[in-house]
Amino acid sequence: MQYRLEKRREPSRFMLYATPVAAVALTMVIGAIIFSAIGFNGIGAVREIFLTPLTNAYKWQDLGVKAAPLIIIGVGLSIAYRANVWNIGAEGQYIMGGLAATWVALASHGMGGWWTLPVMMIAGVLGGAAYAAIPALLKTRLNVNEILTSLMLTYASVQLIYYLVRAPWKDPMGMGFPQTRRFASEALLPNIIPGTIVHAGVPIAIIVALIAWFIMSRSVFGYQMRVVGAAPHAARYGGFSENKTIWLALLVSGGLAGFAGMLEVAGPFQRMVPGFPTNYGFTAIIVAFLGRLNPFGVIFAGIVMAITFVGGEVAQTTIGLSNSATGVFQAMMLFFLLAGDILVRYRIKRVVPQPEARA
Amino acid sequence: MSLELTIAIIVTVVGASTPILIAALGELVVEKSGVLNLGVEGMMLVGAITGFVIVFATGNHYLAILLAAAAGVATSMIFGFLTLSLSANQTATGLALTIFGTGFSALAGQGYSARPVTLLGPLFPAELATHPLWRVLFGYSALVYFAFAMVFAVWWFLRRTRAGLILRAVGENDQSAHSIGYSVVGVRYAAVAFGGAMAGIAGACFPLLLTPQWAERMTAGRGWIAVALVVFASWKPFRLLAGAYLFGLVMTMELYAKASGGPLSAIPAELWAAMPYLATVVVLVLISIRRDASTNAPACLGRPFLPSN
Repeated sequence: MQYRLEKRREPSRFMLYATPVAAVALTMVIGAIIFSAIGFNGIGAVREIFLTPLTNAYKWQDLGVKAAPLIIIGVGLSIAYRANVWNIGAEGQYIMGGLAATWVALASHGMGGWWTLPVMMIAGVLGGAAYAAIPALLKTRLNVNEILTSLMLTYASVQLIYYLVRAPWKDPMGMGFPQTRRFASEALLPNIIPGTIVHAGVPIAIIVALIAWFIMSRSVFGYQMRVVGAAPHAARYGGFSENKTIWLALLVSGGLAGFAGMLEVAGPFQRMVPGFPTNYGFTAIIVAFLGRLNPFGVIFAGIVMAITFVGGEVAQTTIGLSNSATGVFQAMMLFFLLAGDILVRYRIKRVVPQPEARA
Repeated sequence: MSLELTIAIIVTVVGASTPILIAALGELVVEKSGVLNLGVEGMMLVGAITGFVIVFATGNHYLAILLAAAAGVATSMIFGFLTLSLSANQTATGLALTIFGTGFSALAGQGYSARPVTLLGPLFPAELATHPLWRVLFGYSALVYFAFAMVFAVWWFLRRTRAGLILRAVGENDQSAHSIGYSVVGVRYAAVAFGGAMAGIAGACFPLLLTPQWAERMTAGRGWIAVALVVFASWKPFRLLAGAYLFGLVMTMELYAKASGGPLSAIPAELWAAMPYLATVVVLVLISIRRDASTNAPACLGRPFLPSN
C-alpha cells in the first residue's frame, strides 16, 4: 500500500484550525517522550508545564497577566505577517514603548493626575511605532530587509535600557540598584480584581484582539493587508500601494508592541528595570503563528503560551526543571505546526494499485 | 599608538571576527542553493553548548569542534526536513530554529555556567611567534586558520567545481536543474547540512576561542550579523572576509577607545555594546544604496521547490 500527497484545489479550512490543536497535543506527547529519553522527568515536565497552570485555580491570575502582552503583541504581528511584512523586532518595539511610558511617568512624577495613564499609553504606542518606523523607512525607501533591521534594533534597545537605568534615570534612593524609582500611584495600572495581580491590561488585551478582528475582517484596511500578503500582483492591479501596506503593517505591529510595553511597565513592573525585556516580543511570534494570524486564534494561542510560561515556573519549583525547558516546548509546538501546514495545502491519498487492463 | 597595542588590536579583531566569518560562509553556501535559513543563531548556540560540554568533559578541543559541527548538522536537519521535505515556510522555520536553539542550549547548559575551561591554544609552536610581528601571522588557534582556509575553499568549490556549478544552478533556477535531472532537494539538503556544520563550529568558537566558559545566549546575535553579512558581501566569499574583519573591528573598537584615553573613552559602555548591531543596520543601508547588491541574490532564494511535472 502506498500513500502520496495530492494538492488540494483550495486550502482546507478544517486542517487550518485543526493543525494548531494537533501541534499542541503532539508537543505534549512527543515532548514527554523526548524529555524522558534525554534523562529528564518527561511526564512530570509535561504535567507541570501544560496542566498544572489550568488545574490550579490560584495560577489563573498569572495566566491572565502573562497572556495579556502576548495577545496584544501577537495581534499586531499577525496583522503584519498577513501582509508578508516580517517584523521580528517586536521585543525592541515593546522595550521602546516601555521606555517612552517610563519617561512620561518620571517626568510627571509628583504632578500627575487622571491624565497620566492615558498619556503614558499614547507615549507607549508612539514609542513602539516610532521604533518600527525605522525598518519601515529603510524597507520602503531602500528595500533593506526588515527582518534584519528590526532584529538588530532590538539588540540596541536592550542596551538603551541598561544605559538609562544605570545613569540618567537611576533612582537616587535605590541603594545603588540600576532601576528607576517606583512610579507614582497615578502612573500605575489599577488592579481590577481585588486580592489578585490582575491589572487593567488583561481586559484591554481582549478588547484589542476584538477590535483587530473587526478591522481585519470588516474594513478596507484589513482587506488591503490580506490581499497584499496573499496576492501581491493582484493587489498592485487593484491599486493597493505596497509601500503603504509595509508602513501600516510596521506601524500597527510596532504600536501594539509599544502599548504592551507600557502596560507591563505600569502594571507588573511598576518601574523600569534591566530585566524588563522578558522575551514577550519573541514568544509573540509563535503566538501569531499558532493563532493562525487570526485575532481570535491569537487569544487562544496567547493563553496556551501563557500556560507554558507559568507552567515552566511551576516545573522549576516542583520538579527542578530549568525554566529554559519552556522555550524548547514552545519551539517544538512551532515545529509541529509548520510541519502540519502541508496538510492544509495537500491531502494524503492512498494509491491503490490498478489491476492490469485486459485486452 | 605603540606597536604592541596595534598588534594586540589586530589579534583581537581577528579572533572576534572568526565565528562570524565561519557562520557566514556556511550561510552563503546555503543561500547559493536557494535556501534562506534564518536559524543560524540557534544552530550556533547548539554548537556552543556542545563544544563547551565536550571540552569540559574531555579537555579535547578538536573533538569538541568536531562534535559541535555534528550538533549543528543535526539541528539544521530539523530545518531541512520541514522546509525541503514538507515545504514549510522558510522564514518561519528559521525563526523557530533560533527559538529552539536558544531554549535547548540553555536547558542543556544548566549547571555549567561559571565553570571555566581552557581556550584552544595557538596552532604553531610558540617559537614562531616570539616577535610581536610574527604573532600577527602565527599566533592564532586552528579555528582562525580554518576560517581563512574556508574562504578559499568555498570560493573554489562554487566557482571551480562541477558540484559547485550544480549547487548554483539549483539556486538560480530550480525548475531547469530539476528537468536536467539533478535532485534539487538533495542538493539543498547537502547545502543546509554544510551550513549547519559551519554554524556549529562558529558557535564552538565562543567557548573555545573567545571566552572560556558557558553563558546562556553567549552568541549574542552574532548569527544574525552573519546572515546580514552574506547580503553585505553580495554572496561573494572574499567580500565576506573583508566584511567579517570590519565587524570584528567594530566589536573591538571599545578596547582601542579605552586604551587611547581620548574623547572616545567618554562614550558609555552600552553604546559600544550596541555598536555592532547599529553598524549592521548602517551597512545594510549602504549596501542597498549600491544598485547591484540585490541583483546578485540567488534567483530562487527562499522559494520552496515544487516540481512541476
